[in-house]
Amino acid sequence: MLHLPRRGFLAMAGASALAAPRLSFAQGARPRLTIAVQKLATSNALDPLIEQSNVGARIMNSYLECLIGQDYQGTLSPIPRLATAWRRIDDSTVELDLRQGVKFHNGDELTAEDVAFSFSSARMFGDTTPEGSDTTIRFNEERVTQRTKELPPQVPAVARRLWPSLVTVEAVDRHTVRFVNATPDVTIEGRIMAMGSQIISRRAFEEAESWLDFARQPIGTGPYKVASFTPDVELVLVPHEDYHGGRPPLEELRFVQVPEAAQRVNGVRAGQYDMACDLTPDQFATVTADPKLEIAGGIINNIRVTNFDKNDTALADPRVRQAMLHAVDRQLIVDQLWMGETVVPKGNQFLWYGDMYLDDWTAPSFDPKKSRELLQAAGYKGEPIPYRLLNDYYTLQVNTAQVMVEMWRQVGLNVEIEMKENWAQIWDPAGTRGVHDWSTGGSFPDPVATQPNQWGPQGQAVQTGEYHNDEVTRLCGVLQTSTDFAERKTAFRRLVTVLEYEDPAYGVINQNATFTAKAKSTPWTAAPSFAMDFRPTNWGA
Amino acid sequence: MTGFLLRRVLRALLTIFIVVLAAFLALRTTSDPAIVILGPDAPPAAVAAFHEAWGLDRPLWVQFGSYMSDLLQGQFGKSMLDGQDALSKVTARVAVTLQIMMPALLLGVVTGVGAGIVAALHRGRPLDRIVMLGAVSGFAVPGFVFGLVMVLIFAVNLQWLPSGGNDSWQAMIMPILTLATGWAAILARFTRSAMIEVLDQPYIRTGSAKGLIWREVVMRHALPNAAIPVITMIGFMVGGLLAGAVVIESVFSWPGIGQLIVSSVSSRDVAVVQCVLVLVATTMVVSNMIVDLLYGWLDPRMREAG
Repeated sequence: MLHLPRRGFLAMAGASALAAPRLSFAQGARPRLTIAVQKLATSNALDPLIEQSNVGARIMNSYLECLIGQDYQGTLSPIPRLATAWRRIDDSTVELDLRQGVKFHNGDELTAEDVAFSFSSARMFGDTTPEGSDTTIRFNEERVTQRTKELPPQVPAVARRLWPSLVTVEAVDRHTVRFVNATPDVTIEGRIMAMGSQIISRRAFEEAESWLDFARQPIGTGPYKVASFTPDVELVLVPHEDYHGGRPPLEELRFVQVPEAAQRVNGVRAGQYDMACDLTPDQFATVTADPKLEIAGGIINNIRVTNFDKNDTALADPRVRQAMLHAVDRQLIVDQLWMGETVVPKGNQFLWYGDMYLDDWTAPSFDPKKSRELLQAAGYKGEPIPYRLLNDYYTLQVNTAQVMVEMWRQVGLNVEIEMKENWAQIWDPAGTRGVHDWSTGGSFPDPVATQPNQWGPQGQAVQTGEYHNDEVTRLCGVLQTSTDFAERKTAFRRLVTVLEYEDPAYGVINQNATFTAKAKSTPWTAAPSFAMDFRPTNWGA
Repeated sequence: MTGFLLRRVLRALLTIFIVVLAAFLALRTTSDPAIVILGPDAPPAAVAAFHEAWGLDRPLWVQFGSYMSDLLQGQFGKSMLDGQDALSKVTARVAVTLQIMMPALLLGVVTGVGAGIVAALHRGRPLDRIVMLGAVSGFAVPGFVFGLVMVLIFAVNLQWLPSGGNDSWQAMIMPILTLATGWAAILARFTRSAMIEVLDQPYIRTGSAKGLIWREVVMRHALPNAAIPVITMIGFMVGGLLAGAVVIESVFSWPGIGQLIVSSVSSRDVAVVQCVLVLVATTMVVSNMIVDLLYGWLDPRMREAG
C-alpha cells in the first residue's frame, strides 16, 4: 500500500497545482494567426455557390471540403478527402465511397444524404434543368417543390455553369453516392473537386433562418469552422476539434481585410499581422529587409490572357489579332514587371492536365517584323482598337497594359486604353469592345476546365458575342463528351492551334503568381493555388 | 423666422431629391447590376430571374417611382449583393466612421481655432510664424501621406501603435490625428485671417480706447465677429463627416462607410449607394441649415435680411 505522509501529500498537491496549467498549456498550445488580405469575399458571403472568386478560394478551403481534394503540397492532383475511393460505372456515372466517421461542424455525421442534398435543386440548381448533348432533360421536379429556401438567382446560374449536365446524385447506401450525368463526361471527377462542389450539412442548411444566414456561416467538414464573419472587415475561424484529418494546428485563424498593399506590408513588419497576402514583386525588398520575414508563394494555376472581340471591325481579320500576339514581348514583361518571379506559360494550359498537357506547345513568338507584315497584309490602317481596362483587378494589370500598348504602338497598332469600373462595363456590347484582360484557371485537371468553359458553345466569350468559331465548337464537343484519350488529345492540340494561332481568341501573357509575406518562423507552405491550406499536414511538417 | 426656416427646409428637400435622382440615373444607366453581380457569363435565364427579383425589368421611371415611394416610408430597400437591409448595413458602418470622425473634428476645431486666435493675437511675431508654418505644412501635406509617415514611425519602427484596423482603441489614434491635423490646419488659417481683419476694425480700437480690458475686447467683440467664416468652414466639415474619410479609412484599413461606398458603387449595389447618399446629403444639408441659423444668431443683421 502506498504510504503518503500529510506533508508529502501537500507538497505533491502544490506541485501538481503549479504544474497543471503549464502541462495543459503545453498540450493545448496552438498559435493564433492573423492574415491581411486585399479582399475577403466579393459577394459578402462565404458560400462557394455565390462566392466564385479567387479571393473566395483562399478562405473556403479552411471550412468546406469536396469529396475529392487537391494535393496542395504537390501539384494539386486529386486526393481522397471526404471520399476514400471512386470508380466509373459508365461514361456518365461515377460512384464514390464516403469516408466514415466524418463530422460536420455541428456534430452531425456525414452521410450520403448530405452529399445528395449538396447537389440537389433545393441547395444548388433551383428550377434549372440539366442540358443533354442535344436536348434539355427534365429534372426531378418533386425536389423543386420541396425547396426549403429561396435561392438567390446567382446560385443556380453558378451551379449550372459548373454542372451543366448533372441529372442527380443518388445515395446508394449510407456511405456510397453516385453522380449521374446526362451525357458522357470524363471530367465528372474533376468537377467533384472544383469550387462549388463542397459538401454541406443538410440539417444545418434546412435549419438556417434564411439562405443568407447559412451563406454567412456555412456548416461543412473543414478543419476550421466559422466563428464570426463581418463582410469587408474580418473572418474569424476556430478549430473544428472533430476534424477527420487530425487536430487543427491553429487556435484561431483570422483573415482581415486591408485593401492597401503598403498597409498589409506595414502590418506584417509591425507585427500586427502574421501574414500579408496579394503582394507585388516590387514590395519584396521592403519585406525581406526585415531578417525575420520572407516571401512565400509563387506560380499558381492561373494564366493572364488578353481576350479579343473578333467582331470589332479592326480585329475581324485574324491577321490583325495574330499581329498583336507577335508584337508582345512576354519575357520582357515577366523579367521587368514581375522581376522574374513568374514565367511565360506554354500556351493556355496547365501542367496538372497530366497526359493531356502539350509539352511541346509555345505561345506565339515575339516577332515585330512578322507583326508589321501581317498588318500590311491585312490592310490595317491604324483604326483605333479600344482596350477596356480595370484598375489593377489583376496584379500589375495597369502596368502590363501600358507596356503592351506601347509594344503594339511600335508595330503600328493603335490601341487605346479605356478605364472601366467593373466587368459589366468591360463586356458591355454597346460600342466597340476591342481587347480586354482576363485570366483563366483550371478548377480541375483537364482542358475542359479552361477552353470549352470560355470559347465553347456555352462559353462566356460565345455567350457575350465576343467569339465564335464552328471548328472550336465542334472540338469542344469532342473534349467534353469523348472518352477516347487519343481523340481528346488530338482535339485539344487542334483547339489551341485555332484559338491561339489561326483565329486567335486570346493571347497568353504570363502565368499568374501570388505572394505572401510571412515570418520565417511560421511553419507553413504556400500552395500553387489561390487556396491557403492550414490543415495539420501543412503546419510544422 | 418661420418663413426663413420653411425656405431652408424646402431647399434642403429639393437638394436631397436631386441627389437621389442623379445617383439613381448614374448607377442604373452605366451598368446592369445583374451582370455586375452575376458575372458576365451568367446564363440569360439567371439574368432574367435577377431582373425580375429586383424589379429591374420595369421601365426606369417606374423603378424610380417605386424607390421614392419606399423611401418616403423610410424603407431604403435591400442590398442586391447579399440581400441584407441597406439601412442597417449602412448605419453599422456610419457608427464605425463616426468613432474616428467625431473625436477628430473636435480635436481639429479646438486646436485649429485656438491656434488661429493665438497666431492673430501675436501677429508678425515668432509665435505667429511658428503656428502658421505648422498650419501651412498640415494643409499642404495630403492626409494619406501624413498617415503613411505616421504608420512608418509609430507602427513599423517604434511598434507603439497598430498600423491599421479597428481592433483596439489604440488603432483610433493615428486616423484621428491625421484627420484632425488637416482640419486644424485649415481652421487655424481661417481663424487667423478672420481675427486679424476684425482686430483692425475701428470698434476694436474704440473698445480698447474706452478702457475695456483686452481679454474682454477679444472675447466679446472680436471673436463673435470673426466666427462667421470659421463657422462656415466647420459647417462644411460637419457636413462631410460621413463621406469625408474615404481615403483615410483606406490608408488605415478602417472599416467605415468609405470602404462600403467604394465597394457598393463598383458592384452597383444601388440600394446601399442610395442609402449612403441620402444620409450624406442629409448631413450636409442639415449642417448647412444649422450654419445658416447660427449666422442669424451671431449677426442679427443677417436674420433681419433673411
